[in-house]
Amino acid sequence: MGRFSRIGLWLSGAIVLVVVLLGVVAPFIPYEPADAVSYDRVLEVPSVSHVLGTDEQGRDIAMRLVKGTEAFFLPGLMAAGIAVLVGALAGAVAGYATGPVRAVIVGALQLLDTLPRLVFIILVCTIRNPSVTLIAFVAGVLFIPTVAAVIRRKVEALGSEDYILAHIAHGFHSVWVILYHILWLQCWPIMVRQAAYVFGYVLFVETGLSYLGDYGVQEPDPSWGNMVAQVRSLPPDAPWPWLVPAAAIVLTISGFLAFGNLAARRGEEAIR
Amino acid sequence: MNRLLGLVLLAGRRLAGGLLLLVGASFLIYFTIRSAPGDAIDAITPMGTPPEVKEKLAADFGLDQPPLAGYVTWLGRSATGDFGESLVFAPGEQVMTIARPAFKLTLLVSGGALLLCLFLATALAVVLGEPSPRQQLLTGALYFVTAAPAFVAAIFFSQGMNAFVRRFVEDAGYDTPPWYPIPIYSESVMPYFFAGIVLVAGDGLFMDMLNTVRAEILAVRNAQFIAAIRAKGASTLPHTFRNLVVPFVSAFAARLPVVLGGVVIVEYVFTLDGAGYLLLEASKQRDFPVVVGLSVLFTLAIIVMNLLADVVRAAVDPREVARNG
Repeated sequence: MGRFSRIGLWLSGAIVLVVVLLGVVAPFIPYEPADAVSYDRVLEVPSVSHVLGTDEQGRDIAMRLVKGTEAFFLPGLMAAGIAVLVGALAGAVAGYATGPVRAVIVGALQLLDTLPRLVFIILVCTIRNPSVTLIAFVAGVLFIPTVAAVIRRKVEALGSEDYILAHIAHGFHSVWVILYHILWLQCWPIMVRQAAYVFGYVLFVETGLSYLGDYGVQEPDPSWGNMVAQVRSLPPDAPWPWLVPAAAIVLTISGFLAFGNLAARRGEEAIR
Repeated sequence: MNRLLGLVLLAGRRLAGGLLLLVGASFLIYFTIRSAPGDAIDAITPMGTPPEVKEKLAADFGLDQPPLAGYVTWLGRSATGDFGESLVFAPGEQVMTIARPAFKLTLLVSGGALLLCLFLATALAVVLGEPSPRQQLLTGALYFVTAAPAFVAAIFFSQGMNAFVRRFVEDAGYDTPPWYPIPIYSESVMPYFFAGIVLVAGDGLFMDMLNTVRAEILAVRNAQFIAAIRAKGASTLPHTFRNLVVPFVSAFAARLPVVLGGVVIVEYVFTLDGAGYLLLEASKQRDFPVVVGLSVLFTLAIIVMNLLADVVRAAVDPREVARNG
């Protein structure tokens, strides 16, 4: 691992740490969106009392940024959990099993993989009461094939390795060998990478739909997406109310993706 | 002759597989509809829909029958391209009539964006050559910039473009272009072009493409047969090119779903008349037949693209036929 990768790992790790801390702390900060409105301090530039300035309704942008993490943090974790856990199991079975079991699982995975993700999420939102939790659940399920595909490749590659065959020859149960020796010991870097990716996707969908305004988080509740949506009515000389959340979205997504990639690479080097 | 037969057989098998996938995907879509809470027909129609419209809709979608029978009814109608009539967006209009032109535009924009992305990634990969530690600053910065979701990239782009036009065209006293200020509806093709640029720059597409393309180019360039061709004094370019077609087609096909997802919101940001805009508008107005019709069309586009990619790969590379035959 080169010097730049190591720096990248630390930087992206710091971003992930900050977002996780905010996500954990945010629900405990009291915030009443209606009380935050104050029309005598509209569109103020950043100052000591309002670190990132105020928006069109005089609400503190920094506060809304912090509270906005609530919108995607737990849903993102849930989606990542569903995609990685179910995907890893499905991938392991698809890579190890033979006959009809394998055919059924491979077929089901391929089926899920053909659905266009965002379009399907919008379809579900049209039919059911749209909430970020539902969106994240659907996103998690739609990512199962992506995770399963990489895990499957790994399991197929490892399945014929001598030490795995030796474990089975020694009488270890193959379920244990798959779960512990292959998934837990060998595949965790893959799972970290995929989990970070799914989390980033949920952040993208949540902010995207909240930006559009019909699904996702509705005003006055804060989301980075509906904060960016103020771009539609802001005067050109006051860009910070949308610039700050937009930068936060880019930083967080690239931070999570980079952390997932670099941490996984480091893990893979350590395993080898 | 033998090769052609193998190719035809492979195409036939892929087609059958694609049809099966389409049936399965439409099954998932149909049962998502059926799973609507309460009375499905009330859940999917806007408030105040007249009862006779509801009845017709229920008959169209087979909601008045048991799930499986309803699915067969709906599938039979959809297979002929009949997705019913629009309720709100363009009342009484056939879904296919409004969806077809919109979908063409969306495919044009996404396909164009993907081609542009592939071209730029290839150019950069050739320029960069072998990876070296010094390039990591560049690729790291690119990685960071292109990770932005396409809709955020679109907002940055449109705001930047507006500021640029304001400063150098409007304030300088020239006529402003018809597409200015950007989220305005115009007949101009520029917004489509902008959408293409944004799709290339967003959603991590470019770096993903660059990494894939670069690995493939390096793998071919360092292959032994290329060294042998060079040793014989022949040009390596045609051989390199032909060996790159297969991975490039795969890279193109595999990323179409990503672009088709990104294009939905990007079209909305630029107010383009595409299928993504139509989908979101219809969904907002609870125009259910349009949403379902478009969902099927998007899925169909992905399946057809994968099918085409398989056939092109097999036509270019005989090993593909041997491997799958």
